[in-house]
Amino acid sequence: MLKQMQRDAILLSLMNEMRAKGSWCGETHIQKSVYFLQELLEVPMNLEFILYKHGPYSFDLADTVTAMRADSLLEYKSRRPYGPSLLPTKTGQDFLNRYPKTRGKYAERMQFVAEKIGKMGVAELERQATALYVTLNEKCAGNSRAILITELKPHIKIDQAEKALESVDAMIKEAAEKGLGSGL
Amino acid sequence: MAALCHDLGHLPFSHAAETELLPSGWDHERFTTELICSDEMRLIWSRMKLDCVDVAKLAVGPKHYRDRRFTDWEAILSEIIVGDAFGVDRMDYLLRDSHHIGVAYGRFDHYRLIDTLCILPKIDKAADDELGSQELALGIEVGGLHSAEALLLARYFMFSQVYCHHVRRIYDIHLKDFLKKWLLNGMFTTAIEDLLQITDNEIMSELSKAVRDKEHPGHDPARRIARREHFRLLYQRTREDLEINREAGKAVFDAACMEFGDSEVRHDYYVQKEVGLNYPLLSRDNRICSSFTESETLEKVPLVAIDYVYISPECRKRAEKWRDKNLKRIITLKEGEEEC
Repeated sequence: MLKQMQRDAILLSLMNEMRAKGSWCGETHIQKSVYFLQELLEVPMNLEFILYKHGPYSFDLADTVTAMRADSLLEYKSRRPYGPSLLPTKTGQDFLNRYPKTRGKYAERMQFVAEKIGKMGVAELERQATALYVTLNEKCAGNSRAILITELKPHIKIDQAEKALESVDAMIKEAAEKGLGSGL
Repeated sequence: MAALCHDLGHLPFSHAAETELLPSGWDHERFTTELICSDEMRLIWSRMKLDCVDVAKLAVGPKHYRDRRFTDWEAILSEIIVGDAFGVDRMDYLLRDSHHIGVAYGRFDHYRLIDTLCILPKIDKAADDELGSQELALGIEVGGLHSAEALLLARYFMFSQVYCHHVRRIYDIHLKDFLKKWLLNGMFTTAIEDLLQITDNEIMSELSKAVRDKEHPGHDPARRIARREHFRLLYQRTREDLEINREAGKAVFDAACMEFGDSEVRHDYYVQKEVGLNYPLLSRDNRICSSFTESETLEKVPLVAIDYVYISPECRKRAEKWRDKNLKRIITLKEGEEEC
């Protein structure tokens, strides 16, 4: 397991990667990118996720982000007229620079996540992360996964769920081929 | 009913006695759940045609009832009780504590805030052509925004001025020290019936006995509480220290323990939990946007984080000289130390 400080460094580093790929890095982007990093790419963040806000959600991660804001590593930045971004501060960047080994060890996995989901909006992230959650946690296959997604999140339509599952299945396969995940 | 039952599981002296005095996996929310689902209360629920699990889920919310799945509506209902932004639990404790302590910091216009609460899709998005999620969440009408900001500021002031005041915090630590010495195996029992027998009164009575009895295992922390002989603040992390070392308090604590002995030093670290700043807002022309769109305040409200080191009054003078001489060296990290 990563120590708390190493985990915070991974979080900051992942946010940098996500922003580099075009993400505006709101709360949902952070929650879902960390979920992919931990569950698909098996980075040992030691965070518990449950199905809640916009799909898989970790209260521990939300508290971690708040603690990082309290320690001036992260700050909110308004993007009027839209929701806020969370950005690393100068203190956060200095902190991150003290963890080159930790960053280096997981760099490829963070880049993979950012590449795949960095450009997604909140609605798409919600569908993809819920698709991964159902694939990992529910004993159902084929179309029953898509039906379950629409039951869990009634505002997601069946064709959207099917598309999200296709995309997630492809991600799982690609991660395994690149040696970044076990293929689950 | 869920709101009424939300705090049932609190231990004596509430949060003060919770950390370190319960086995792993136990907290007051778990006791709340156990009590709501107890045989005694099941009888009450059945007369009201309620399922105890439904009540427990809403009373403690998804954060503390992780093995059950919440529907969107259950999530919203529990948010009304325990939510980070507008949970009635938070509104209640700020107003009540403020009243009983006699400070004005915790007051805000909760009537206005409650009047403007509404359920809206949380449409976080980056562009006008992006649909955003249609998932429902608890939000407010724009007319209640200033009351919501006032709630947030009230919370900040109550945490910084009251809950996290260094003298108030050291009394929690002495109380914990006392309970560790007095309770069987240094912890509260998790057997509900036995736990219900221990109230604030039982503890106050034992504490009073311990003050008078030098042989009592909890005599030292008891006298520190009763006679105001509490440990004194030796170190408080500053913003400047934070730039040097995020764990400055721990570094000072470890060094002080080496210098003065473990029994003479205490460390206290606390960071405010999730606050719930980003919620949907309904404008007067029925558009829905993020709360950040209309509020200049939300992104600027500071969070409370404390990192205190205390020293016994007996060592205070010596410790202050030691601190003044060694602080910079103690908190400065050596090359590559972080990644060890």
